[in-house]
Amino acid sequence: MTSVSIHDTGALFQIAEPTDQRRAQRRPGRGIGIDLGTTNSLVALAPHGAAPRVLRDSSGSGLVPSVVAYTADPPLVGRAAQALQAEHPAQVVSSVKRLMGRGLADITFAHPYHLSEETPGLLRLDIGSADAPRRVTPTEVSAAILRELKLRAEAELGEPCDGAVITVPAYFDDAQRQATRDAGRIAGLQVYRLLAEPTAAALAYGLDRGGEGLFAVYDLGGGTFDVSILRLHKGVFQVLATGGDSALGGDDFDRALAAHLLKKSGVAEPSRHQLDGARLAARAAKERLTEETVTRVTLAGLPELELTRGEFEALIEPLAQRTLRACRQALKDAGLRAPELDGVVLVGGSTRVPKVRELVAEAFKRPPLADIDPDEVVAWGAAIQADILSGSAREGVTLLDVVPLSLGLETMGGIVEKIIPRNATIPIAARQVFTNYAEHQTGMVIHVVQGERELARDCRSLARFDLKGIPRLPPSMARVEVTFQLDADALLTVSARELMTGVRQSVEVKPTYGLSEEEVDRLVMDSLDHAGDDYARRNAAEARVELGRVVLALRTALAEVGHLRELLPDDERARLEAALAAADAAMADPDALADPLNRARTALEKVSEPFARRRMERALNAGMAGKSLHDIERALADDEALHEKRAGHTPELLEPEEP
Amino acid sequence: MSADTDPFALFDLPRRHTVGRDAIEARYLELSRAAHPDNVVGEGTAARRAAVERASAVNAAYRVLRDPVLRAEALVKLGGLDLDSTDPERGAPHPTQEFLLEMIELRERLEDGGPAGLDALRDDVDARSEAALDAAIAALDAGEFRRAAEHLVARRYFQRFLDETEASAP
Repeated sequence: MTSVSIHDTGALFQIAEPTDQRRAQRRPGRGIGIDLGTTNSLVALAPHGAAPRVLRDSSGSGLVPSVVAYTADPPLVGRAAQALQAEHPAQVVSSVKRLMGRGLADITFAHPYHLSEETPGLLRLDIGSADAPRRVTPTEVSAAILRELKLRAEAELGEPCDGAVITVPAYFDDAQRQATRDAGRIAGLQVYRLLAEPTAAALAYGLDRGGEGLFAVYDLGGGTFDVSILRLHKGVFQVLATGGDSALGGDDFDRALAAHLLKKSGVAEPSRHQLDGARLAARAAKERLTEETVTRVTLAGLPELELTRGEFEALIEPLAQRTLRACRQALKDAGLRAPELDGVVLVGGSTRVPKVRELVAEAFKRPPLADIDPDEVVAWGAAIQADILSGSAREGVTLLDVVPLSLGLETMGGIVEKIIPRNATIPIAARQVFTNYAEHQTGMVIHVVQGERELARDCRSLARFDLKGIPRLPPSMARVEVTFQLDADALLTVSARELMTGVRQSVEVKPTYGLSEEEVDRLVMDSLDHAGDDYARRNAAEARVELGRVVLALRTALAEVGHLRELLPDDERARLEAALAAADAAMADPDALADPLNRARTALEKVSEPFARRRMERALNAGMAGKSLHDIERALADDEALHEKRAGHTPELLEPEEP
Repeated sequence: MSADTDPFALFDLPRRHTVGRDAIEARYLELSRAAHPDNVVGEGTAARRAAVERASAVNAAYRVLRDPVLRAEALVKLGGLDLDSTDPERGAPHPTQEFLLEMIELRERLEDGGPAGLDALRDDVDARSEAALDAAIAALDAGEFRRAAEHLVARRYFQRFLDETEASAP
């Protein structure tokens, strides 16, 4: 009989007194919330307790397509990258989230990329050209998206951000979460926390309306599906159960519809180009069918087709039913029945599909809530949590999340022994004592897996490590206690202690998927240089504009009144010309950083200040001769006051009173 | 189990099987708010690790206290008997000859009964499992840890039987 109990690790145990200085090193209000989506990503801010808002581009869109084009260096991200997709299919990467934390064997869906896995568990995409091959990991592609979002946020904040909350599907396993966290680090972000997408949505809804009670969050995005059951009580958001499918989303609707459209057009073996075209047409048709019941679709070079909403619904029903099975399981895991819920929240663009809404309403026996934009609600929640974690004086909330999949160890015969059950609240630790089978044995290999299946080979392999340092003792006498710790991001760390001596041992865990610690560190170093560059470049550009403005204003003044000695004595003019020459020299260097440019501007402003003052006095005297500066200011103030009074009345009312 | 890994002590509850559900939930929220690692984001590694360990202890204790079986097993452990150990003195008591015969009989019924009899058999074992837990709780209330441990060992056998038959059910 085997059984495993979950314990704390014993060490350092003490209940926290709330600490006041704990946020000393942070910069309140500079936390950003990022929804890193399969299809689109968003960044939102909610500084100092403000309501969250998604940052938008000049066209008003908050959605940044999760597309990276390696046609330039640094790569292009977003709409600009998307525009290049048809022309450079192999160099423009989209939906990279589906590749995160995966190995080559996991990629069973169609994609246009050249993938390789030279290092086991480390997928790479070849995004180079024929003459210059170049490989990147999905983590690096995600980092490029995150970097773009970070720059967007910093342009808005006007200063570097402090850290970020990045959302992940609740159903992401350890490898997928680790890859996301690594991407954040490579993008130069301090990742405060990985937040489950449904939990983020609940946070946005819950805080928005002071919610209390039991809620289900149904989150169907572009490439992932999640469902979470939460209890909201006095600022604590407790996830009771979560479930989902990290490879099911609206993209699958598009694919199913695209295949249907091609079949209807009689195209048996579509080319890559035709497939891509059909998928774009399918997506557009899907969106139209949200409002319309019938639409027309044209595929390039083929006759126009008619498509009804009914046809589309029949195609997606099996996919939608898959999501409902996960909902029922999550309710069961939470020990609840649908009528006990107080509300159901819809999240993700794919919940706009009427059939999805209808099925969700049926499954949960109530109309779902969707009044916060389902595309933005996750980013809102992330921004709120980021603001809290940046140290803002915002009423705190406590998010108690769960691990979505059980953690287990491979035992004899490939059977999995579960050590942490799914839906256990994180952080949580499990301890296992390992012993020796033979006297000469001083080590053993431990294989950690994640999943619900009985056999290790059917679960996700997380890591293998060699437990070394078992003392040379008779069989079963040596005891090494291994602690498997899941942190608040549901990421695993392993530590070991030899029980006879109590000596802690370092455990070198080799993750099955993803980058090693050293590789991440190297990429972080690269990007730190790079990220610093990005920021410095923007600062320099701003400093250049400012300096240029001051120089131009001064040159204009010199040209107009520089010859008047009473305004500009000779010695002063010489100093001014010298300062202008210095400014020109500073601007002549195209790589000049902000500092020398700002110094030149400060010097110029200082030298020209008496000249500016005299010019202003002259202008005033010309307009209001005989009056003191005080009089002029008062006259101006009265004028303004009069304007204000008038603004309070409509002209129609004033006019009859005029004599 | 040392004092600071005693879930009852952590939640300020008396060491007995009957607990107030509301008291557990209220105390859990209070402890979680204080112990959550989000409180120390941005601090040093040691502080963050300590917070993770504290929060893990709170979550582990919460899990034990909410579950009647885990709660009973924890009380037995606090009474000096570890069901996960094979130590003859302080480990799980060996099942009696009589109990092993009972299990063999159940296994035989499983093989003979076919799929039709499976549900009835599972209901029977489920009832035995519940009865074993009730007996363990009664023994705990009487302060008889060894007797409680024996019933809990029996319950684990029944539970395993149920888990296995569920997995093989069509």
